[in-house]
Amino acid sequence: MMEILQDVMTNEYLSFLKAQFDDMPLGIFVTDRQGIISYMNRNASSILGYRVPEDASGASLRDIDAVINASLMNSLSQIVEGRNLVLPEHRCSNRQGHFAILNVYVSPFRRQAEETLGIIGTLQDVTESARRKAELEEAILELSILAEVSEALSSTADLDEVLRIILTGVTANQGLGFNRAFLFLIDADGGYLEGKVAIGPSSPEEAGEIWSRLSRQQKSLKEMLEDYSDRENVSNYSLSSLISGWKIPLSSETFFSRALQEGMGINVTGRDELPESSREIMRRLHTVNLAVAPIISKDKKLGIIAADNQITGKRISSSDVKLLQTFANHTAVAIERSRLYDNLVEHAAELELINRQLAESQEQMIRVEKMSVIGELTSSIAHELRNPLTVIGGFANLMLSTGGMDGNSEYLNIILAETKRAETVLHHVLDFSRASRTKTRLIDFNQLVTATVQLLNSKLRHRHNPPTLRLTDARLPVWGNPDQLQHALLQFMLISMEELTDGCNVIISTLEREQKALMNIDFSGGDQAKPQIIKTLKQIFGSSTGTQKLSIIVAGETLRYHGGNYGIENVPNEFPRIYVELPQYKGGSDEETSCG
Amino acid sequence: MKKLLVVDDEDHIRKLYTDVFTREGYRVETAATGDEALEKAASTHFDLVILDIELEETSGLELLKRFKESFSNLPVILNSAYSTYKADFHTWVAAGYILKSSDITPLREKIKELVMI
Repeated sequence: MMEILQDVMTNEYLSFLKAQFDDMPLGIFVTDRQGIISYMNRNASSILGYRVPEDASGASLRDIDAVINASLMNSLSQIVEGRNLVLPEHRCSNRQGHFAILNVYVSPFRRQAEETLGIIGTLQDVTESARRKAELEEAILELSILAEVSEALSSTADLDEVLRIILTGVTANQGLGFNRAFLFLIDADGGYLEGKVAIGPSSPEEAGEIWSRLSRQQKSLKEMLEDYSDRENVSNYSLSSLISGWKIPLSSETFFSRALQEGMGINVTGRDELPESSREIMRRLHTVNLAVAPIISKDKKLGIIAADNQITGKRISSSDVKLLQTFANHTAVAIERSRLYDNLVEHAAELELINRQLAESQEQMIRVEKMSVIGELTSSIAHELRNPLTVIGGFANLMLSTGGMDGNSEYLNIILAETKRAETVLHHVLDFSRASRTKTRLIDFNQLVTATVQLLNSKLRHRHNPPTLRLTDARLPVWGNPDQLQHALLQFMLISMEELTDGCNVIISTLEREQKALMNIDFSGGDQAKPQIIKTLKQIFGSSTGTQKLSIIVAGETLRYHGGNYGIENVPNEFPRIYVELPQYKGGSDEETSCG
Repeated sequence: MKKLLVVDDEDHIRKLYTDVFTREGYRVETAATGDEALEKAASTHFDLVILDIELEETSGLELLKRFKESFSNLPVILNSAYSTYKADFHTWVAAGYILKSSDITPLREKIKELVMI
């Protein structure tokens, strides 16, 4: 090249240019038409591994090819004829065997538009920038994985789902690409790491099957994370069972404890000198090289992600561990958020339950208060009726006793009988309304039933066998008007007892069922007692009329106003049973209860 | 002849008791209000008073108290449509508490017991 330039330039200018070429960051070389090197600047000699440019004197393109393996000699004739050769990011090694990435550009070397004298080539060493570019691409990939996993994690608050997404991200080829991943979480007391879930094949055969299927599907990481069924497929329950229920004490000397204490990932290999507790972990996971990353959120230790390449045997690098740690840091937030969400849901459910119970209690109290108002109204009407009945019946009696209406005594007797009947009805109604005057309060259902049975016994003294009373040990608080409820319970007991013959017995029991306080009235006796019991039940629940029926209607309404009910229950191989139920009070447990 | 004073704001009750107990040999006078009853008791000796509780102008229980203050030996039978007053200790100074009913027998027997006919 210099010879050509000598024809057109002064020696002084030529020396200046040579110095400029030597200092250029680009390697430049020139050959003749046969490929013999006629010029090489300092940078080119450095790239190709010559000590100084002069060492390349007389060398040919073959010598350059021998170093950078670019087949320049094969392309020489084509270049001389006018073609350019471009080899971008050509990977090679120099004469000293150092790895290099070169941008190679070779073109014909002509003397102004005249014949081609040879070729001129430039060598640009882009090894460092290519390395940085690769690092950048790797960082972008990491960010991309984290972004996709992040997006998937934000779509759920379910902890199991979160854990599966995390492990899918660790094991997916489009993710961190580990063969297997294990997740351990610290228990509530903070004393143990508990094995939770594992993902990955448990044998090479299974790995081949799963990976070839995933390869055919050609899914992106995002698609894999979004597709729950695939997540199910890549997860392996036998692998999960390997760690499920496994509790590792944090106090023991293991690489898990160390990773949590130091807050840093660890690359554990079988070659390391490990304490027995750590070797046990490696044995149990059937692994010789394990990446371990602690999951820590704001100084709160949550657990461990461990991953390996047990199937492929690929060595885990420090950058793999670093990436796993970045991943673990990222997922800590998701796990913490999921737990907070679970707590929130739990508290919301508790609040909802309390609100519902409060609403039910309020509704029940309102019903009971309404009952009191109805009682007051009933009372005043009943008293207003008692005076005229007294007058009607009184005069009818007077007329009958004086014989002042001979021939009409039959009618007078009818008036008297109906007056008496009306007075009996009034008596029942007034009993109910008297009960309405009592204030509502918390009542012990067992005490209420006991007091009612005592009242029953006093009313039926010497007439029947007293009923057998069987009380549950459970505390049965109910809310209501104790007098009203006692009146209601008494009506069922009275009717059950009054019509029974001597062969029949009655058992009154209390129990708790489906958050309700129950009083059962059971009958016992031989077959001869059956017709009488059936008659009694018909009286209570049939369509007949009469004062007993009225009592049951009032008693039933009283129960319903208290949120309760009554009915008949068929008991296999036994007599039918009368039951009375009231809702259990769910308010504060420290309130006093009383039977009134 | 024993004298009874019937105190009730119901005309027909007064008429009933007058007719029934007159036929049974009592001399019966009636009063519709508390003031009228006290006036009659002050001017006439009665052997017994039959007293309604729910009077229009004054409470029968208040009247009972005044009878006891002014005529401590005069027995008073409370006769009411309401059974609830039985629980009121103010009624305990009365000689009896009989619920109004078409069957006058309980009242009749109580009167007999108190005036010892």
